[in-house]
Amino acid sequence: MKVENKFKTFSLAATWAWMFFFALLPFALVLTASFLSHSDTQLLELPLTLNNYRNLNHGIYLRIFENSIIIASTSTLICLIIGYPFAYIITRLNGYLKSLCLMLIIIPFWTSSLIRSYALIAIIKGKGVLNTVLIALGIIHDPLPLLFTNTAVIIGLVYNLLPFMILPIMTNIERLDHRLVDAARDLGANRFTTFRRVIIPLSMPGIIAGCILVFLPAMTLFYISDILGGAKSILAGNLIQNKFLIAENWPMGAALSIVLTLMLIGMILIYLWASRGNKSGEWL
Amino acid sequence: MKLQTISRTSYLTLVYLFFYIPIAVLICYSFNNTQYSLVWQGFTWDWYVELFHDSDLWISALHSLILGLSAATLATAIGMLAAVTIYRYRFRGRGFLYGLIFILILSPEIVMGAALLILFTLLRFPLGFITLLLSHTTFCIPFVIVTTYGRLVSFDKNIFEAAKDLGATDGVIFKKIILPMLWPALAAGWLMSFTLSLDDVIISYFVAGPEFDILPLRIYSMVRAGVKPEINALCSVLIFVTLTLILLSQTALRKKS
Amino acid sequence: MRFSSFFLLGIAMMFPAFASAQERIVNVYTWAGEISDDLIKQFEKQTGIKVNYSTYQSNEVMFAKLRAGSSGSYDVIMPSSYFVERMNKADMLAEIDKSKLSNWKNISAEFTNPAYDPEAKHSVPFIWGVTGIFVNDKYYNPATIRKWPNLWEARFYNQLLMLDDTREIFSMALISLGYSSNDSNPEHITQAFDKLKKLMKNVKVFSTETVISILIDEDAKVGMCWNGDAYKASRENKNIKFIFPDDGFVIWVDNLAIPKLARHKDEAYEFINFMISAESGKTTTMKMNYPVTNGAAIKLLPPEMRNNPIIYPDKSVLKRGQFPRDLGEKTLDVYEKFWEVLKMSG
Repeated sequence: MKVENKFKTFSLAATWAWMFFFALLPFALVLTASFLSHSDTQLLELPLTLNNYRNLNHGIYLRIFENSIIIASTSTLICLIIGYPFAYIITRLNGYLKSLCLMLIIIPFWTSSLIRSYALIAIIKGKGVLNTVLIALGIIHDPLPLLFTNTAVIIGLVYNLLPFMILPIMTNIERLDHRLVDAARDLGANRFTTFRRVIIPLSMPGIIAGCILVFLPAMTLFYISDILGGAKSILAGNLIQNKFLIAENWPMGAALSIVLTLMLIGMILIYLWASRGNKSGEWL
Repeated sequence: MKLQTISRTSYLTLVYLFFYIPIAVLICYSFNNTQYSLVWQGFTWDWYVELFHDSDLWISALHSLILGLSAATLATAIGMLAAVTIYRYRFRGRGFLYGLIFILILSPEIVMGAALLILFTLLRFPLGFITLLLSHTTFCIPFVIVTTYGRLVSFDKNIFEAAKDLGATDGVIFKKIILPMLWPALAAGWLMSFTLSLDDVIISYFVAGPEFDILPLRIYSMVRAGVKPEINALCSVLIFVTLTLILLSQTALRKKS
Repeated sequence: MRFSSFFLLGIAMMFPAFASAQERIVNVYTWAGEISDDLIKQFEKQTGIKVNYSTYQSNEVMFAKLRAGSSGSYDVIMPSSYFVERMNKADMLAEIDKSKLSNWKNISAEFTNPAYDPEAKHSVPFIWGVTGIFVNDKYYNPATIRKWPNLWEARFYNQLLMLDDTREIFSMALISLGYSSNDSNPEHITQAFDKLKKLMKNVKVFSTETVISILIDEDAKVGMCWNGDAYKASRENKNIKFIFPDDGFVIWVDNLAIPKLARHKDEAYEFINFMISAESGKTTTMKMNYPVTNGAAIKLLPPEMRNNPIIYPDKSVLKRGQFPRDLGEKTLDVYEKFWEVLKMSG
C-alpha cells in the first residue's frame, strides 16, 4: 500500500505546497488588505473597516464593470469566431504541417506585446498604413477614425489574445473521436447538422477553456486600452492598476480585485449550472 | 474536395496575414529614419548599428530567455502534477484546490504582482531572479492545468483499471501511460507559459530587482525615452532568429521521418 | 527523476544571481528618458562602479515600490518636487551632505532653495519642465490660444491631447479658474471638476507616454504637454509650437535623492556628483532634450539650444509658473474619485 502511494503522496504534496504559498497566501493577503485602511505614511494599516466595500456601492464602479464586460465579451466572441475554424482546420493537417502552423502562430508572441501594439497604432492611425493604402486605392477619401476608439481597443485585444483561444480548442479537437462524426454522417446527418450537434458539444470543454483564457485578460489588460483607446474610458484593469499604483489606495484596489474575482466566479458558476444537463461537457 | 482545400487554405492565409502584417510593419519601421514618428520617413541602418552596440539590451534579452525557459519548464512540471492529481484522486480538500486554481486564473496580474511583492517583503526575500522565477511559474501554472486537464478528461478510464490489475504502481502508470498521451497538451502548455513569461510586464514590474533586468521592463522604459526604432530592430532580429531556428528544426525533423 | 533534473537545472540557473560582486555597485532607479545611457557608461568607465539602472514612468509607482519594502534596494532615485515633500514627511530620504558634492555649485540659484524642500536638504534638482499648451500651426493660429480656458472652445471638439495625469489635469483646471494649482479647498476642487466635465467632449486622447509621436504624426493638433516633449516633436515637425499660458502653469522639477535605507551611499554620492557636472548637464540636455537645472551646463550649450524659447524660455516667462506641492492623502482621494467619474463621462 505505502509503495503504491508514493507517487500520489509526492504529487499531492508538491501541488498543495505550491498552491499554498503562491495562490492561497497571496489571496489571503489581498482579502485581508481589502479590510484594512491606508494613510499618508502606511500603505496598509489597521483599523479594519468595511469602508472599502461601502465605497464600491457607487454608480461609477458599476458602469466601469459594465463597460469592461461589454468590451471583453465582444473581444472573446470575435476570438471564438475567428479562432474556432482556424483551430479546426489546423488539427486536421498532418503532423509536420500542423506543428509548423502552430509555431507560426506562437512566434509573433515572442516579441513584446507592447511593441506589437505600437505596430497596430502605426497601422490604424490617421496617417497609418491602412488609411494610406485605402486612400491610395480610392476606397475612402478621409482617413478612418479608428485610433483612440473602443474599436481600436477591441482590435488590440483580439490581436493579443487570439492564440489563447486557438490553443485550448486545438488540444481538445485533437482527441475528438472521429468515429462519432463518421457515425453521425452514416446516420444521414449533413455536414452542418454534424457540426452543430456532434462536433460543437464535444469540443465544448475546449471552447470554454478558450473563452475563459481570453475573457479574463481582456478585462484586465490596461495598457491596450491606454495606448490604443487613448485612455478615455476606464476598464476594470485600469481601475485596479490606478488604485494600486497611482491613487495608492491598496485596500480599495484589493476590494475591487475581490469583487472582480467573485463576479467572474459567479458567471462561471451560472454557466455550469445552466449546462448541468449537458453531460458531454465534463469540464472541471 | 478541392473547394474545401481552397477555402481552408484561404482562411488560414487570412488569419496568418492578420497575425503577421503588424510584424511586417514592425520590421519595416526598424529601418525608419526617425526617432519618434510612426510614419515612414526614409530608410536607415542606424538603429541596427545602435542595437549592436547596446550590450545592456542583449543582456536583458538573455535574462528574459533564461527566465522564460526555467519558468515554463517548472510550471509545466507542477501544472501537470496538479492536473493529474485532481483528475485521478479523490482526496480531502479537492474542491478547495479547484477553488485555488480558479483564483489563480482569475486574479488580475496587478493584484498578483502586488500580493507577491507583499509576500516577499514579509519574508524579507530579496527581489531578483528567484522572485521573478517563482512569480512567473505561479501565473503560468493555471494555463498548463487548463490545457492538460482538458485533455485528461478524454481518456478512457478503463486503461488505468487494466494497468492497475496488471500490477502497475501509480508512478509507472504515470510514466508509461499518462505522460505519453499528455504530450501534446504539455507541449501546448509549455509554449503558452514560455510566451507569457517572455512578455510579462505587470507582475515582473512588482517583483523584479535591480540586478536582474529583463527585456519587457527594459522595453517599457525605452519606449518612454523615445528610442523605439532600436527596439523594433531588436524584435526584428529575434523574429528572424526564431523563424530560422524553427524552419531548420522542422527541416531536420522531416528528413528524419 | 525528470523532476529532480528540472529542479537541478533551475537551481543551476540561479547561481548567476547569487554571484555577489566584490566590485562596487550603485542601484539607480529614475524616471525613464532622463538619464542618458552614454553618461552611465562614461560614469562606469571613469569610476569603475557598476550601475544597475532601472526606470519608472510615474512617481506613484516608484513610491509604491519603495514603500512596499524595497527601499534598501535602490541607492539613487528621482522623485519630482511634490514627491520629495511627501517622502520627507514619511522620512524616507537621507539628508544630502553637500560637502560631498563638489559640483553642487553648478546648480542655478533659483532651484537651490525650493519651497518643497527648504535648502534642498534631501534633494538635488536635476531636470525641470513646464506643462503648457502645444499647437500645430498648420491647423490653428497659436496667437489665438493664450490661456487654459481656450482649450474649452467648441472648435477643438475631439481634437485635444491631454496628459493622463490626475494632478496635471486638475492643476490646469484650477489655474483656469484663477485658483492656485495646489488649492486643496474641496469647494474649489468641485468647481474645477464641474468645469472639467465640460472639457471631456473636446478630448481625443489621454496620454503621457506616446505624446511625441502623436504630436509629430498629427494625431492630435492641440492640447497640453510638457515643453521637453514639444521641443523633441518640433525637431521632426516644424509646425509644432509651444505656449506658456498667460494665466499660469506648473513647473515641475525632478530631483536626484538617496533613500534613507540605501546600501551604497558613497557610490550614490559619486553618481549624483557626476550627473551634475557641467559636462554631464550639457550631455543630458543635448541627448534627452530636457532643460536642466545645471547653470554651468547651460553656459556650455550651443546658442540655438540655449536660447530656444521652448526649453529655455526667458526668466520673465517662468515667473508665471507654480511649483506643485504635496497635497496629502485626503485631497488626492478626492481627486481620484472625480477623475474616475470624468473618464467615464465621455
